[in-house]
Amino acid sequence: MGNGLVKDIWVLSKRSVLTTLRSPFSFIPNLLISTFFLLVYDSGLSGISQLPAFDGANYLAFILPVSVVSAAIGGAGGAGQGIVKDIENGFFSRLLLTPASRLSIVLGPIIAGMLQLFVQTILILIVAFLMGLEVATGFLGVLVVLLLAVGWGLAFAGYSAGIALKTKNAQAAQAGTLIFFPLIFLSTTFVPYELIESSWLKVAATINPTTYIFESMRTVLIDGWKFWGIAKGIIAIMIACAITITFAALSAKKAVSRG
Amino acid sequence: MVKGTIYVEHLSKIFKKGNVQAVKDVSFAVEEGEFFAFLGPNGAGKSTTVQIVTTLISPSAGKVYVAEQDVLTNPKGVREHIGVALQETGIDPSLTGREMLHLQCRIFGFTNKQAKLRTSELLEVVQLREAADRICGNYSGGMRRRLDLALTLVNKPKILFLDEPTTGLDPSNRKSIWNYLHRLNKEEGTTIFLTTQYLEEADTLADRISIIDDGEIVATGTPQELKAQIGNDIIAMNFENEGEAEKAEAAITQNMPGTDFVKRSTELNLYVQNGTKRLMEIVRLLDQENLAPQTINVNTPTLDDIFLKITAESEQKRGGVEHG
Ligand SMILES: Nc1ncnc2c1ncn2[C@@H]1O[C@H](COP(=O)(O)OP(=O)(O)O)[C@@H](O)[C@H]1O
Ligand SMILES: [Mg+2]
Repeated sequence: MGNGLVKDIWVLSKRSVLTTLRSPFSFIPNLLISTFFLLVYDSGLSGISQLPAFDGANYLAFILPVSVVSAAIGGAGGAGQGIVKDIENGFFSRLLLTPASRLSIVLGPIIAGMLQLFVQTILILIVAFLMGLEVATGFLGVLVVLLLAVGWGLAFAGYSAGIALKTKNAQAAQAGTLIFFPLIFLSTTFVPYELIESSWLKVAATINPTTYIFESMRTVLIDGWKFWGIAKGIIAIMIACAITITFAALSAKKAVSRG
Repeated sequence: MVKGTIYVEHLSKIFKKGNVQAVKDVSFAVEEGEFFAFLGPNGAGKSTTVQIVTTLISPSAGKVYVAEQDVLTNPKGVREHIGVALQETGIDPSLTGREMLHLQCRIFGFTNKQAKLRTSELLEVVQLREAADRICGNYSGGMRRRLDLALTLVNKPKILFLDEPTTGLDPSNRKSIWNYLHRLNKEEGTTIFLTTQYLEEADTLADRISIIDDGEIVATGTPQELKAQIGNDIIAMNFENEGEAEKAEAAITQNMPGTDFVKRSTELNLYVQNGTKRLMEIVRLLDQENLAPQTINVNTPTLDDIFLKITAESEQKRGGVEHG
C-alpha cells in the first residue's frame, strides 16, 4: 500500500490545482490587477521612454516585468493560502494520517501555486503581445522571462508556505505576502536606475532583489542576450529560493513532526 | 498479516504550551476484533490519546504499538493499517464527496480503476450516492460525518479510530453511524477504538470500556462489569436542602459503616447489593433522625450512574467536590 514519492506528488498537486480552479476568486483579482498595471502604466507613462536614458526602448517592454512579477508574487501567495485552508478545515491532518510522503503534502500546494503563476504569466505575455510587444531575443527570450517569473514565484511560494505552516493562520499568511508587495515599487519599477532621483530610493533599489529580476527580464526583452544582465536575476532567484525554501522546509518539518 | 491490536503502556503527554498534562500514565490493550470505548468528559484527554496512537503527535513518555508496529519508530507502517476520524472532520470543502473518496483511494495506492470501484462501494455504504457529485462544503453536519467515516474506510483498515464520531449529530444520523460501526466490527472483524462522552453510546456499542477523567483511566471493564462494580442497586434520595442531605449522610456513615455512597448537593445515592431490603433500614434510620427525603427510589444502575460515581470519586480524591 502507499505510493512512491512521485505519485504522491502527482496526486496531491492535481488535487491542489482542482481546489484552486474551484475558487476562481483566489486568482482572478490578482490576474486582473497585474494586467491592469500593464495597460495603465503603458498608456500613462509611455511618454517617459522618449527620455534619452531609455535609448529608444519600447516602454511596454520596460513595464512588462513589473506586471509579470506582481502576478508571480500574488500567485505564489496562493501556495500558502492553500496550506492554511487545508490546516483550517482539518484536511491537512487527514493527509498526515495517510501514508503519503510528508514532502508531497507540502509540495502539492506549492506546485499548484507555480502552475497558477505560470499560466498567469502566459496570459499577461499574450496581452502584452496584443498590445504590440516586441522581444529582442524572440521566442527563447519569452521562455526565459517565464522561467524567471516561475523562479521568483517559487521563492515567494517557499516564503508563503513557510509562514502558513508556522502560523497556521490565513490572515498571517496573507499579510506575510503583502509585506513584500512594496518591494515591487522600491525598485527600478517605472524608470531605469539612472533616472531615479531620490538617493534613498536608489539605495532601496540596489539592495532590493526585485531590481535584478526586472533587469534580467528587461535585458532579455529589450537588450538581447547579454550574459551578466541576465545572470544577475538568476543569482538573486537562487539566493532567495535557498533562503525561503529552507525556511519552508524547517516550518514544514515542525508542522508535520509530532510535537 | 499483522493483527489489529492496540497496546499502550504508561503513556503520558505533557503539552509544553500551557504546561498541561493531558494524559497521565495511561495503559490499556485492545484485542483484535474488539470494540473498545474511551468514555470521558470534555478535556479528559481522549483526543490527545487518539492523536498519539494514530501517529499525529508524539508522546512525552510511554510505549504505543498499533497493528503490531511501534508508533514512534514506524509511523508509516501504522498509517497503512488504520483508519482515523478525528474529532474535527478532515474534508476539502471544494471537492465533491466522490472526488474526496477517489483522492483518498489514490493516496493509499489504488489505481484509478480500483479507486473508482472502491469509491462507489463506500458511497453506497454511507448512503451518500445521491449527494456524491455535490461539493462537500455544502453537506450537512451528518453528511460530512458520514463522508469522513467513509474516508477512514478506504484502505479497509484493521483498526478504526473514531474520536467522538456522533457528537453534535441528530438521533437519526447517530443511529445510522452506530449501525455501520456495529456491522463493521461484527461482520468485518475490524478493531474499533471509539471515544465518546455519551454513556449510551459506549453501552450500546462497546465490548469493553475505559472511563477516563482528567488524563487518567479510572475504571475499565465490560459494561456489565462496570455496572456490577457499584452494586446491584442504587437507592437515590433527594432532600429538600443541602443541610438535610448532609445530616442523612452523617447518619448513614455512623450507623451503616461501609456503605458506598456519593452525595451531590441535595442528592444522596447509596450503592447497595439488595436495594429493596436495605430500603426499609434506610427509611427507619432516616425516620429516627427526623429526616424525610422528598423522593426516594431504588434503581438498577446505568452507565450514567457509574460515570457519575467514578468521576465524583476522582474529584474527591483531588479535593474538588466535598464529601460531607
Ligand atoms: N495542543 C494542545 N496544547 C495544549 N493543551 C492541549 C492541547 N490539546 C489538548 N490540550 C489540553 O489537554 C487536555 C485534554 O484535552 P483533550 O485530549 O482534547 O480532551 P478530550 O478530547 O477528552 O476532550 C485539555 O486540558 C486540553 O486543554
Ligand atoms: Mg476531544
